[in-house]
This record gives sequence, structure tokens and C-alpha cells, in this order.
Amino acid sequence: MKRKKIVCSILLYFLLGILAILVLVPVYYLIVTTFKSGTEAALYPMALPTSFSLQSYKEAFVKMQYPRAFLNTLVITGVSVGGIIITASMCGYALNRREKTKWSKGVFLLILSGIMFPYQMSILGLYRLIRDLHLMNRLTAVILVDIAVNLPFAVFLFKSFVSTIPVELEEAARIDGAGVYKTFWMITFPLLKPTIATVAILNTLTIWNDFMGPLYFLQSREKDVILQEVYRNIGQFSTDWTSLFPMMVLGVLPLLIFYLAMQKMVIGGVMSGSVKG
Amino acid sequence: MRKKNKTDRSATYFIMTVPALVIFIIFFILPLIFTARYSFYNWTNYAKEITFSGLDNYKKLLSDRTLSKGIMNTLQYAIINVLLQSLIALPVSVALNSKLKGRNIFRAIYFTPAVLSTLVVGYLWKYLLSASDYGFVNQIIAGLGLEKVNFLGNGKTGLWSIILIEVWQWFGWAMVIYLGNLQSISDDLYEAAAMDGANAWDRFWHITIPGLAPAIKINLVTGMISGLKVFDIVLATTNGGPAHQTETILTLMFSKFSDGNYGYASAFGMVFLAVSMLLAVVLLGIFRQWERRLD
Repeated sequence: MKRKKIVCSILLYFLLGILAILVLVPVYYLIVTTFKSGTEAALYPMALPTSFSLQSYKEAFVKMQYPRAFLNTLVITGVSVGGIIITASMCGYALNRREKTKWSKGVFLLILSGIMFPYQMSILGLYRLIRDLHLMNRLTAVILVDIAVNLPFAVFLFKSFVSTIPVELEEAARIDGAGVYKTFWMITFPLLKPTIATVAILNTLTIWNDFMGPLYFLQSREKDVILQEVYRNIGQFSTDWTSLFPMMVLGVLPLLIFYLAMQKMVIGGVMSGSVKG
Repeated sequence: MRKKNKTDRSATYFIMTVPALVIFIIFFILPLIFTARYSFYNWTNYAKEITFSGLDNYKKLLSDRTLSKGIMNTLQYAIINVLLQSLIALPVSVALNSKLKGRNIFRAIYFTPAVLSTLVVGYLWKYLLSASDYGFVNQIIAGLGLEKVNFLGNGKTGLWSIILIEVWQWFGWAMVIYLGNLQSISDDLYEAAAMDGANAWDRFWHITIPGLAPAIKINLVTGMISGLKVFDIVLATTNGGPAHQTETILTLMFSKFSDGNYGYASAFGMVFLAVSMLLAVVLLGIFRQWERRLD
């Protein structure tokens, strides 16, 4: 019996290990290839590089106009995530505290439709709207679209989390004469921290890695995001294929660092985002 | 005085829903109406004015051979991808939910691809799967004495390659969702079943799987929806080729858009709406059946 157990766990580790290798090898390849010449990478794909020169990264950094593209991506992600948290938490709160009114039910149903249907179907109408509003080639365009598209799920999460916060906590503030609005920001909002973290993490991943939105709405180069720079540069013909790898790494590096630093929080965020959903 | 106070409060609640509602209506609902409208118009980049053209765009759609290919591909990407993801993620999450040493490291590793950009993942695999000398996967295949495969160079293997790349990237995400759900299944159930003499397989089948119903539902629905949106990865690996064999609804829409055929691209958007509604109805039907059986 005991022997059987040991065999079982060895087998389990073996299988999990193979899966881990399958996941890690491409990532390892992505990173080591940045330090190799084309021939070296073709001959010894899995070997450690013979020299660690950052020259290729410097070139990629310049070619991608990295600081500018990084800043654009950062502004879009930061403002969108902030906007989602502010608007969705207020909305989810009000919808929960006035759950039985027709207005609340109607609004909730309408917003829920945004979870089921991908916005990409109406991208042409969106394109037209952005043009008519003179928002084309402005970061604002992508920010507003990102907020609108990701709001529904956030409203849903906030609404269900608010229901776990007892109304009595708010009543004390009310007796002291605070209005609904003030009560929300002073009392309830700080208690929403776990959901705020979840919403922030899920949306940071989604919005930072969104390629399609910027592709349609940010067509001038000085407004583009990191991924568009990757797309632009890799799309061009190059015989020196390994020189493209630093660009790919620079494309994923910010979120990879974010993940490595806050791995537990990121996984926790994804987990709790789904348990309530 | 008291009554006035109460209406004030209701008004504040109402106002608090307004920002979200306004942004959602303007940037989600309105564009949908616009798109529906423009699908009946001859709106192009080169025509001087936009004219009503009735069903012309839809007639053109029907005779467009790439369309049915695109729809079929999109459905295949969405459905096969979601099933394969869960097929891997489910047993893995059950294994990692036990008191296994190193389980946190495994979790962290499996989730890593999910934080990478899909576009970059596409480019990376394009090199890995290349049929040129440097294609790593083909080097292994050749090393085993087999014939090289031009994975992305033909329709059938191209489609499967893209699906497998997506599975590689996203099974960790599905795993995390299953793990979250597994923690909520009470140990008592397992203990009681063990007392009744149920073996591991019985317990998995009769406790774990029904207990995981919510997570299975979430994974299938969200996976299906994001599967319908497959775009970046196709753009990066095959760009819809060869000969439109790996095209999806969104890549087709983007190429009509790039050509300046905006009205026609709008009609593609409407097709996309129809396909996602159909899928949603089918999924809901399946879940209802399943729930009935569980009861």
C-alpha cells in the first residue's frame, strides 16, 4: 500500500515536471536567443549564450522608441484601470443598495449584456464614433473604450461583493449626517479592497496586453503602444532574425516583472475574480 | 424634512450609477447600433459619400468564400481550444490542490504564459515552429529521424498549431479558476465517501466534478467568448494564410477594414454578433441540461 503511494507520487511529479518543461522551454528560448547570433541560435538553441552583450537590447530599445511607447501603454492602462474602479465601484454599490428598484434591475441587465458580447463586433461603429468625436489618435479614445468594455464585469464583481458588507456599518455614518455619496467613499469603498485588487489585476493584464484597440484607434506612431512597436518592427523584413528577439522580450518584460514580483497576488486576483463570477 | 431627505438619498444612488452607465451606453451600445446601421450602407474609404445600399453588403457576404471558412475556423478555435484547456487544467488543478510539495512553484510556472502578450507569444512560436533550419521543434522532429513539418505553412496544421499555442498560453489560467473552486469543496464530503468505500476515481467522478460545476461553467463560457475573439495570435503566426485557410472572423474584418471597405466590414461585425449569440444560446442550453441531471 505504502509502496503504491510512493510510485504514484513519483509518477505525478514526473508528469507535472514534463508539463512544467513544456511551459518553460519556449520562455527560456525567448530569453536566451536575444544574446545569440542567428547561426549560434540555429546550431545550439538550448545552450546558454556564449556572451552576454546588451547591445542588441540597446538597439531594440532605440528602434522601438521604447520610453515613449512604454509611457503611452502605462498611461492607457493606469487611467483605464483607475476609471474602471471608480465608476464600477460606485455603480455596483448603488445597484446593490437599491437592488429592488426597477431602475437598478434594468441597469444591471443592460450592463450584463456587455459581459456576454465581445465588443469587437461593433468596432466599425466604434471607429466611426471615435472619428466623429475627434478622438482619433488620442490615448483618450483607447482609455474610454477600455473602460466601457471592461466595466460590466467589474460592476458585477463590485455588486456581489457589496452585498457582503453589512448596511449597519453605513448607518452610523448616516446618523452623523453624512450623505450617501460621502458614506460610500468614507466607509464602504475602503472595505472593498479585495475586490479593488482583483479588478485592478484582471484589468491590468487585459488592457496592457490589448493590441486590437490601439491598432484601430492609435494609428500615428507617436501615440502607439509597446505591442504596436513590436508589430511594426517585426513585420519588417530582417535577415538578422535573432535581433527581433530583444523586441519581443521588451514587449513582455513589464508584465513579466509585475508577475514575478506579485505572483501570489496576481494568481489570487484571477482566482477570486472567478469564484464570485 | 424627512421625506425630502429620502428622495435626496434615492437621487444620489441614481446619480452614482450614471458615470458607468453613460460610458457604457456611448462606447458599447451606441457603436453596436452604428455598426448595424452601416452594414446597410455603402461606406468606403474611397467613395465620396456614404449611400444606403440595402442588403448589398450581405449579398456580398454570402458569395464570399472566405466567410464560411472564417466562421468555421473561429468556432473550431473557440471550441477545441476550450475543451483541450480544461482537459489539461482539470487534472492538474486536482493534483495541485492536494498537499503536494512544491505545488506553489508548479502553479506559478503554469500560469506564466498567461501574462505574456498573445501577439508576442504568436511571434515566438512562429520561430519555434518554423520549417527553416533554425525551427526548434522541427530540429527535434528531424533528430527523431522523422520528416519535418511545415506547421504554419498549410491550412490544417496551421489551424491546429494555433489552437495548441493558445492552449499552451491559457491552460494555466483555467487551472487557477479550477483551483479557486476546489478550495470551496468541503473535505467532509471526501471523508464520508472514503468511509463508504469509494475509491479515488469514484470520488473524482461523483464529488469533484459536480463540485466543480461552477468553475467548469465559467471556464467554458469565458474561454468560448475569448476564443471567438482570436485575432492577435493569427496575425502574428499565419496572418490568416496560406490562402485564407486560417482566417477568423476578426482577421477577415480587419482586412476589410484595412482595405477601406467599412460598410462591408460592418456586415462582418453583424455576423460576429449572430455567431456569438448562437454559441451563447447553445451553451446555456447545455448547462440547463446538465443542471437538471445533477438535481
